Amino acid sequence: MTQQPTQPARFTFRTFILLLLPIILLAGVIALFLTTGGGLDLESAAPVEDLNIERYTLKRGLIELHVRNTGPEEINVAQIVINEAIMPFTITPNTSIPRLGRAVIHIPYPWSYGEAYGINVFSTNAVGFGVDIPVAFETPQPDSATFLGFTLIGLYVGVIPVFLGIFWFPALRTLGRRTMTFLMAATAGLLIFLGLDTLAEALEFANEVPSAFQGIGLIGIGAVATFLLLDAISKGQTNTSGDDSQRRLSVAFIIAVGIGFHNLGEGLAIGAAYNVGEIALGTFLVVGFIIQNITEGLGIIAPVLRDRPTIGRLAIMGLIGGGPAIIGAWIGGYTPSPFLAVLFLAIGTGAIFEVIYEIAKLIQKDTQREAMPMTVFSGVLTGMVLLWVTGLLIK
Amino acid sequence: MKNKITRRDFLKAGGLTLLGAAGAVGVNALSHAGHDMSNTKVLAAPAMQHGDHDGTMPNTVGEVDHEKNGFNPDEILTDFDYGEVSTLPNGQTLREYEIVALNKNIEVVPGIEYPAWTYNGRIPGPTIRATEGDRIRIHFSNGSNHPHTMHFHGFHPGVMDGIPGSGPGGNVLPGESFIYEFDADPFGLHLYHCHSFPLARHIAKGLYGAFIVDPKVGRPPVDHEFIMVMSGFDVDFDDANDFYGVNAIPFHFQNHPIKIKVGEKIRIYLVNILEFDLINSFHLHANFFHYYPTGTSLTPSEFTDTIIQGQAQRGILEFTYRYPGMYMFHAHVTEFAELGWNGMFEVTE
Repeated sequence: MTQQPTQPARFTFRTFILLLLPIILLAGVIALFLTTGGGLDLESAAPVEDLNIERYTLKRGLIELHVRNTGPEEINVAQIVINEAIMPFTITPNTSIPRLGRAVIHIPYPWSYGEAYGINVFSTNAVGFGVDIPVAFETPQPDSATFLGFTLIGLYVGVIPVFLGIFWFPALRTLGRRTMTFLMAATAGLLIFLGLDTLAEALEFANEVPSAFQGIGLIGIGAVATFLLLDAISKGQTNTSGDDSQRRLSVAFIIAVGIGFHNLGEGLAIGAAYNVGEIALGTFLVVGFIIQNITEGLGIIAPVLRDRPTIGRLAIMGLIGGGPAIIGAWIGGYTPSPFLAVLFLAIGTGAIFEVIYEIAKLIQKDTQREAMPMTVFSGVLTGMVLLWVTGLLIK
Repeated sequence: MKNKITRRDFLKAGGLTLLGAAGAVGVNALSHAGHDMSNTKVLAAPAMQHGDHDGTMPNTVGEVDHEKNGFNPDEILTDFDYGEVSTLPNGQTLREYEIVALNKNIEVVPGIEYPAWTYNGRIPGPTIRATEGDRIRIHFSNGSNHPHTMHFHGFHPGVMDGIPGSGPGGNVLPGESFIYEFDADPFGLHLYHCHSFPLARHIAKGLYGAFIVDPKVGRPPVDHEFIMVMSGFDVDFDDANDFYGVNAIPFHFQNHPIKIKVGEKIRIYLVNILEFDLINSFHLHANFFHYYPTGTSLTPSEFTDTIIQGQAQRGILEFTYRYPGMYMFHAHVTEFAELGWNGMFEVTE
């Protein structure tokens, strides 16, 4: 498209000026608008302020609020009210927070374990910004005990189930071609379910992202970019090696990556929930997780069942798929950030849907040799229903 | 799938069944922390009493700019305005006052300016003080951009009542003026406030003040007389007070204790004009006071340490401290106390 054989592009000074012209005019219009107000009376009676309380941490006798100014103008923090009491506080780095700037408010307060607190941050314009602490308990600090705790959570909900799924490999290898295609279709079904869930989760986190960061747009960028990037990588591999087994292996790796991002998002959510003291993750629920996530391991190995991948490769795929749950739990537990969560979940969404596309291509190859429409139908449906049913366990 | 659970259902599950050993360790550590904390609280009290706020007491951060506000709660304590005094042909004492309604930004707590409506640029407005039977003449002019009035509690003719429908004095438009004139009667502690619609907003914005009518025979002499007007500020306009105080500024007398001496007789003229909340109260620490509701009798009705006032209720308190020390006085609606209505007497030998 860019190549026009008759008229090779010539970038002259004239072109440069012509390109620049609208930009110069734009600058002029903006300057005019800013100086004259564009004839609109835009003076607002009250300043528009938006202070995003990103998270809070509780230490003994101390409450800390991590805030970000997501409004159009500078915000000055004037007073803090906790549960109907005005409390002295300090703020770092400064009481005046520039646009998109961050600050930490330190409030010495003798909070009690397990109780609820409502905090109101007043700006100098008497605009109040509230945050609720539904259940107060000491925020886990990055020490060895909580580090180990978060690692264990990630291990239980991510790594272990994925590896358990992979352990099916020897048994499943003995199955016939039709069954393997069924399993691939089931994997696609699992992934469709996971992809929708990841997307929904990303949308939910997007609401928590300060409006200036445009959570929905972020999802679009993350998902589309990941999808196209993985597609490009996969196409590149197909071009270099036409080997089908090589191709199936790379699909398996991409599945592992997609599931890995999904589990990263999951870890983030678990860590964040744990951090704010709202989580009540009983043993029964962990059991539910293991049962449900075992299918993820199954999904990873489905494309390579007819091949002979080394144990080392299988182990790496398992780590890629499950390990990120641990990393997610760390990030979510220590520095929960809706922005990061949206980004990771968007990447996960893009990755998962790209993988579905790859699997679809593999299935198509199989079905070209031997038509088995009901196998594909029942496989996809089985995959989706499997996750839905195991999901009931956790509810 | 499970995200749904982690983010919703877990959260709702309520209790703190923590996972992993780490969680359990954390819980134990915290339950101990709880005990330690209560100790800290107790220990913190003496520190606070020396005006050394170590952060365990509610308080505002910083100090309001009294100069810019144009008034200081300390000065209001003893600022009794007897007006410009002359004698009428019939021998009656005439007290004349100039009062202007003004829009004014008042820094009600450090850092927060409230777009207040004021009488003479201060909250509360001037404490008008006269003797029973004196003639009061108020030259009221409206320098703001809203209609305002002055409605006095006391005996007076309807046209002097300062309420909508009572004639020109019931709706003084911006730039206009009106002279309210009546006899100071009965003796006691009264108040005045704006009565324009919407009434709650006009009062809450700062248009109120105390009106003291001394009995002809006078009250027994005391060493100190203080005026305290209890009010609040709804800075975010949600018809609920965000801050409370006496003489407008929250925590002012906590940070600047009122200095008195052992054995001195103290008389407080206490007025409640608090909007939005049903009641206000006054509690004196380590002491009891004689209470004269509305100040209309020279015989106290009660000997107590806590009284309750609804809006526009007022009364006179008389007491003496036996021992030196730092003594709190505050609303025993403790929520108000922690939102600013708290003060200290510093009693010395």
